[in-house]
Amino acid sequence: MRIKILITFLFLAVMSSVALAASVRVITQEGVIRKDRRFFSPPVIRAPYGSVLEEKGRQGEWLLVNYRRKEGWIHKSGVQGQKFETTSLASGRAQESSQDEIAIAGKGFTPEVEKAFREKNPNMRYDQVNKVQNFNLDEQRIQSFIRAGGLKEPGGGS
Amino acid sequence: MKKFLSPAAVLAFLLLVPGCAELAEMGRTLGEEAGILSAQEEEERERLVDQSTSAVRPMTEQEEYFLGRAVAAMILSRYRLYDDPRWTQYLNEVGQTVALASDRPLTYGGYHFAILDSEEINALSCPGGMIFITRGMLRQVKTEDELAAILAHEVAHVNHRDGAAAVQRSRWIQVVTLLGTQAAQKYGGAELNELVSLFQGSAQDVVKTLLVNGYSRQEESEADESALTFLHRLGYNPYALPDTLEIMAQRQGQGNTGGIFATHPGIRYRASADMAVISQNKWAKESNPARDQRFRQVFASLQGKK
Repeated sequence: MRIKILITFLFLAVMSSVALAASVRVITQEGVIRKDRRFFSPPVIRAPYGSVLEEKGRQGEWLLVNYRRKEGWIHKSGVQGQKFETTSLASGRAQESSQDEIAIAGKGFTPEVEKAFREKNPNMRYDQVNKVQNFNLDEQRIQSFIRAGGLKEPGGGS
Repeated sequence: MKKFLSPAAVLAFLLLVPGCAELAEMGRTLGEEAGILSAQEEEERERLVDQSTSAVRPMTEQEEYFLGRAVAAMILSRYRLYDDPRWTQYLNEVGQTVALASDRPLTYGGYHFAILDSEEINALSCPGGMIFITRGMLRQVKTEDELAAILAHEVAHVNHRDGAAAVQRSRWIQVVTLLGTQAAQKYGGAELNELVSLFQGSAQDVVKTLLVNGYSRQEESEADESALTFLHRLGYNPYALPDTLEIMAQRQGQGNTGGIFATHPGIRYRASADMAVISQNKWAKESNPARDQRFRQVFASLQGKK
């Protein structure tokens, strides 16, 4: 009986690893899936935080993914697979971890915690924080800035 | 055979192998249902669960984002924003360009750059990607490449998650332990209060590091090394980083002690180390008249303004 349970358990473990290897999740507020492997390539589709993307392949820093029957490229830093880069407090440095961002999401430092913190500390200048975050440059402007300054177009750390 | 398939041994393996949290949960359920755990094994299991949870659980991208917002809110409660659309735009153009060339170009909330209305000479990065530079620091900068170098160094701290790592380990373990309880996941009043208190303490840990203690010399050196790589990838002049550090060292020699001089020790040593990295990689000096010109245009009025 024990052996049967353990064999079943190990079989499930192997199968779940195989299943997870073919998909990644978006870990930014909005994942942008692009036509080509470039930051300034036109977006094909946008996927909100937590969306599951089917991974079709990898090239350099970019993953070829399928989302809602649309295919395109997303930079590896915007998604989490079975393994992803994160902080280890034990070492204090970034390292590989297999913790599931999405499984943990909603249980730690969340909008609800921030809201309660702001209510207790009305002197905190969240209005100014929002102002900083609301200043956005469109991609075309950044691309023009790069070209005008004789700089190389960034490809994502490759 | 029995020796290798002991339930306690299997559970210990599953609990300690990274990525096995969900599998461990399955194993626990199976073990309990099958009634194969003795009281002693149950106690050992609990100990392993506690150990694995506190040692492995890292801060998520989303948590880092909200921590960074709290850190920024604390900083902006001490310093006013220097609110000029033209300068803010230029700063963000340079900063976004550098961030895209970094090893972590995408974060949960993206990178944002702003100027603090202070004559202190300093630059700060909050967890998640919000980066501040003081007006005093901007006055020291003479070219776009130097500005890019300063921002690249701060982007590197975000890449390395140095801000999140500044949260006291004991405090983070308390967060993880609290979240491990069912009650906290549902955010009951007392648990939420405790979590908010830990959240505030975590943000204060980071602010203290940014404004008082500074990062370690190793963290600073590693941030410099990454910054040089980002500059080189883009075609910015990598020499701009050690050049800027040399200027800072001269200011320090003139009796400046606050701001960056208090939180960034060994500035001259860093400049030498950066030169060694550039020399080792045989990176050439870069320059571009168009960059120099647009820098002069944007910052001409700032340099003269009190």
